[in-house]
Amino acid sequence: MTTTATTTTAQAGGQRSTPLLEVDGLTVRYETLRGDVRAIEDVSFAVGDGESLGLVGESGCGKSSVALSLLGLLPKNARVDAGEIRLQGQDLLRLPESQMRKHRWNDIAMVFQGAMNAWNPVYTIFTQIEEALTIHQRGSMTRSEARRRVGDLFELVGLDAQMMDRYPHELSGGMRQRAVIAMALSCDPKVIIADEPTTALDVIVQDRILRQLKRIQSELGMSIIYISHDIAVIAEVADRLAVMYAGGIAEIGASHTVFGHPRHPYSWSLLTSTPSIKGPLRTLSPLAGEPPDLHDPPAGCPFHPRCPMATDRCAAEKPPLELLSSDQASACWYADQVPDPREQEVLR
Amino acid sequence: MSPPLLKLYELQKHYPLDKGILRKPSRFVHAVDGIDLDIGRGESVGLVGESGCGKTTVGRMLTLLAEPTNGSVAIRSDQLPDHDLTDLDKQDVNRLRRDVQMIFQDPYESLNPRRTIIDAVTEPLRLQDLGSREEQQERGAEMLRLVGLAPPETFAYRFPHELSGGQRQRVAIARALVINPSFVVCDEPTSMLDVSIRISIMQLMRDLAERLGVSYLYITHDLGVARYMCDRIAVMYLGKVVEVARTEDLLANPRHPYTQALVSAVPVPDPTYERPVPDIKGGVSRPVNPAPTCRFIDRCPWADHTCESNDHPPLEQVTSDHRVACYHAR
Amino acid sequence: MTTSPQRTATTTGAGAEGPPGTPQDGSDPSGRGLATGRRARLANRIRVLRASFRENWALFKRNRIGVVGLVVIAIFAIMALLHPILMDTVWDPERYHPVVGYSAQEVELTVVEEIENPGQEIDLQRAQLRHDPTIQVGDTVEDTIQPAPPSLDHPLGTDPLGRDVLSQLMLGAQTAFGMGAVAALTTVIVATFIGSVAAYFRGWVDTVSMRSADFFLLLPPIPFLIFLSAIYDLNMVTLGLVFGLVSGAGSTAIVLKSQALTVAVKPFIDSARVAGASGMQVVLRHVIPNVLPLTFLYMMFTVSGAISAEAILSTFGLIDLPMSWGIMIQTANDAGYILRGVEYWWLLFPAGLAVTFLAFAFYLFGRGMDEVVNPRLRQR
Repeated sequence: MTTTATTTTAQAGGQRSTPLLEVDGLTVRYETLRGDVRAIEDVSFAVGDGESLGLVGESGCGKSSVALSLLGLLPKNARVDAGEIRLQGQDLLRLPESQMRKHRWNDIAMVFQGAMNAWNPVYTIFTQIEEALTIHQRGSMTRSEARRRVGDLFELVGLDAQMMDRYPHELSGGMRQRAVIAMALSCDPKVIIADEPTTALDVIVQDRILRQLKRIQSELGMSIIYISHDIAVIAEVADRLAVMYAGGIAEIGASHTVFGHPRHPYSWSLLTSTPSIKGPLRTLSPLAGEPPDLHDPPAGCPFHPRCPMATDRCAAEKPPLELLSSDQASACWYADQVPDPREQEVLR
Repeated sequence: MSPPLLKLYELQKHYPLDKGILRKPSRFVHAVDGIDLDIGRGESVGLVGESGCGKTTVGRMLTLLAEPTNGSVAIRSDQLPDHDLTDLDKQDVNRLRRDVQMIFQDPYESLNPRRTIIDAVTEPLRLQDLGSREEQQERGAEMLRLVGLAPPETFAYRFPHELSGGQRQRVAIARALVINPSFVVCDEPTSMLDVSIRISIMQLMRDLAERLGVSYLYITHDLGVARYMCDRIAVMYLGKVVEVARTEDLLANPRHPYTQALVSAVPVPDPTYERPVPDIKGGVSRPVNPAPTCRFIDRCPWADHTCESNDHPPLEQVTSDHRVACYHAR
Repeated sequence: MTTSPQRTATTTGAGAEGPPGTPQDGSDPSGRGLATGRRARLANRIRVLRASFRENWALFKRNRIGVVGLVVIAIFAIMALLHPILMDTVWDPERYHPVVGYSAQEVELTVVEEIENPGQEIDLQRAQLRHDPTIQVGDTVEDTIQPAPPSLDHPLGTDPLGRDVLSQLMLGAQTAFGMGAVAALTTVIVATFIGSVAAYFRGWVDTVSMRSADFFLLLPPIPFLIFLSAIYDLNMVTLGLVFGLVSGAGSTAIVLKSQALTVAVKPFIDSARVAGASGMQVVLRHVIPNVLPLTFLYMMFTVSGAISAEAILSTFGLIDLPMSWGIMIQTANDAGYILRGVEYWWLLFPAGLAVTFLAFAFYLFGRGMDEVVNPRLRQR
C-alpha cells in the first residue's frame, strides 16, 4: 500500500497532497503470559497539516496502542509485525531510539489522560515543563528564557502565569489538564496526540478545554489526533474520524459524512447508543454480546458475532476497508445497507 | 396525585474539616445543604451535577450509609408506617433495608471478589432472613434470569472476575432488586461501562422499574443518560438543588443560569450543530462554611445586588412541574 | 400494609411479608431453577479451586527460593511423619525411643593420655576408674560409650544419655511443626480479627487495638517468654499460643489492618451494608476473606519465629517438653559437650541445623507466597 495520486482509504475525507503523518498497515501484537494479543491489526490513516483526526472506540479497541506506537512508547512486550509510520515521509518505526527521542515531543507530543497522574507530585509545574524543554531542546535555554516560554504557553492555554510555580495538587483538575496541554505544546510539535484529554473532567471544564484546544490548533496550525471513547466529543472537535473495533479500523471518513450516515454497523450502533440532549430522543439500540477477546479473535469480520446484519459471509471472510466515496471508507460487506440513524423511532 | 413515596425535607450533611480530639470543629464542608425533594412511586428522578456538588452524599444518606446532619427523609414503606429515616433504631434500619437498595458505580469493585454470583444475589435475602435456603436459591436464580443472565446455572457459581463489566452490573441490579425494594438509589451505574454495553444496562433498568414498580434516584453527571432514564431531573450545585423539572422541560427550557450553562456544555454527537458557549465564570470551589447568599453568585452572569443582599433563593414554582432557585429566573 | 398492583405483578409475587421465591402455583419447590444446584456448586468449587491452584502454582514455581523453602519443609515433614512408623516397625523402642530409650554401644577403646578420636579412645584416668587400675596407655578395653558417634545402627549417633539422635531429631520435627502450627493459627486468628475490626470500625476500637499493637510490637519476645516461663510451666501448646498472641496482636495486626483498610473502602462493603449486614457480618463475610491471602503469608513468617524461639527457650531448659531440637542442644550442654562441639558434632549440628533450616525454609516459602498474594510484586 503506497500513497498514490488517487484517494486511498487512509486519506478518506482528507487532503489530497502528501500528508504530514501517515500510518500504513500498522500491525502490533503484545506477548503476554496467556499468549499473543492482536492489539492493532492493519491500521492505516493519514493526518494532514492543521487537520484533526478522531480515533473512537471502546476500551481495548487499540486506540491507545496506536498513540503509543506514534510516540515510540509501546511497552516492552509489544512487537510491531508490519507497517510504517511516516512523519513527513520518514519512517519512525525504523528509527533507533536515540533518533526517535528527537522526534518525540519536538515533532509529536502527547496530552496524557488523567491529568493528575501525568504530574510528579514533588516538583512544581514549571520544574517539570522546564525538564521537558531542556531535554528536548538540548539545554540551549536559560532559566529566564524557559520561564518566559512557559509563561507564554500558560497564556496560550488560558492559565495564569503564576500557576507555574505551584505544585500539581494545588491546581484543580481542569487547571492541571491545561498545564498538561501547555507541556505538550512546549517544543512546538507538529502533531499533538490527545488521549482522552477531558475524560475525568466535568462538562463545563471539558467544554472550555476542548474550545481552547480548537483555538490553539487554528492559531498554531498544528495537527491533533484526538483519542476518545466519547463519540460526542469527537463529533465536536475532529474534522475526520476513524472508528476502531478489535484493533482494526471499522470506518474512516469526514466527520460530517460519517455522523450523517455511518456505513459500518458498529459506528451506526455507537451513534445510536449515545443519548443526545438535543433533538428528539430516539430509540437507543444496544449491541448484543461483549467486545471480542483479542487473544482469540473471531474469524472473518471481528464484529460479526455482535452484528445485527451479519451473514455467513461475514463469519468466513474479513471485509477490507473500502472507499465508498471520496470521504468515507468502511470495512463491511454490506456498507450500503446500513440504515440511516435518523430512521430510529422517536421516543419523545 | 398520590402522596410521594419519599420526601426529603431540608436534608443536610456537613463534614467537619478540622476534627480534633478535644477541639470543637469550626470549619465544615456543606456537602448537602438543605434539600427538599419528593419522589413518587414508580418514578425515576435524576440527580445531576458536577463532581463535588453533593449528589453522591444525598444517595448515601438515603441508603443510610451516611447520617444526615439535619433535616429528615420520610419514606412511605410497606415495612414501616410513615417514617423518618433520620430517626430509626437498629431494627427499623434493617427492615427499611428491604425497601431502599442501591446500585453502585463500579461493577468491578461492588461485588465481593471471593463470593460467587448466586451468593452475592441472595445475600440480602439471607441477611433479612427471608425464606428457606432452597427458596432463596430459587429466587436468586429467577433474578439472574430476570436481568438477562440466563440460564442461571451458567452464571450462578462463577466468581465476579469471570464476568464482564456489563454482566457484573447485571448481577448488581439483581442483587439490589432481589428483596423487592420500592426505591433504589443508582449511583452512576453505567458510567464505567463501554458505550455499547451501557445502553443495554439502561434499558434493563428501565424495563425492570416498569415491571416491578420501583422508584429510582438516578445519580449521574451525564445529562444524556439522565434524559433517557429519568422522568424528572433535579440539578444540584454545591449542596443545593437549583432546579427541578420534568426531563424534557428542563433540557429544552432550563431556567437557572447554572442549568443553562450545564445544558449548553454537553457535547452533541452531530458535527453540524454549533453549540453556544456556556455563560459561566470561574470554577467550582469547595463549600467550606459558605456565605448564606446564593451559592452560584460568583460564577453567575446575572448576579446583582439582589443576590448579594439576600440569602440563597428558595426553590420556587415557575410552572406546575418546574421549580427554580433563582431571583432572576424568567 | 400497602402493596401496589405493580409489585404483586412481579413474577414471584413476593409480598412484603411472605418469603420471596415462594412458588405460588404449587410448582416444584425444590429449587427448579437450579435443579443441578448442589452438584453444580460442588463441581464449580472444585473447578475454581483447581484453576486458582494451577495459576498460583505457576506463579509460585517461577520463584526459585520459594520452591527451595517448600522442598526443605517437605523433607522435615516427611521426617516428622515417618517417626511413629519407624518406631512401630524397625526401631526397637527399648533402644530407639527418643526420650526413654537406651543404647550403649560396645566398642574397643584404646587407652590414651588425651582423647583425640572420641569413639575409639578412652583416657587413662577413666579407664583405670572403670576397668582396671593397672591399665596403661596403649592397652585396649571393651567399653560402652555414650554419646557414641554415628554408626550403622545409629546414623546420627547417640546422645550423652545413650539415646538415638536421629530418632530425637525426627520427634523434634514433630514438636517444631506442632508448635509452629499452634503459633501460626493463633497469629492468623488474632491478627485478622484485630486488623479487620480496627479497619472497619475505626474510632476508639482502632485506637485501642493499635496502641496495644504498638505495645506488643515493642515487647522483646525472648526475654518476655523467659519471664513467662519463670511463672508458668510452658509446654508446646501454651508456648505456641503465647508466641502467636504476641505476634498476632503486634506486628501482624498492624500489617493486616493496613491491608483491611484498602478492603474496607471498597464499594462492595457499602453494598453489603445496604443489603442489611451488621458491622460484624461485614467484617466476617466481606473484610476477612479478602485479607486472608496476606494472612497466610504472615503465618509463614510466624512459624519461622516460633521455631527459633522454641529452640532458644529449650536450650535454657525453660520449656516442659519431652523432646525438641532445643532440648537436644540443652542435653549436650548439660553434659558438658557444648564446648567440644566439633569433636562431638552429632550432638549439636543436627539439631542446630534443623532449627536453622526449617525456620529459614518457612521464611523462604513465605517470600515465595508473597509474590503470589501480592500482585504488585509480580513480574509480568
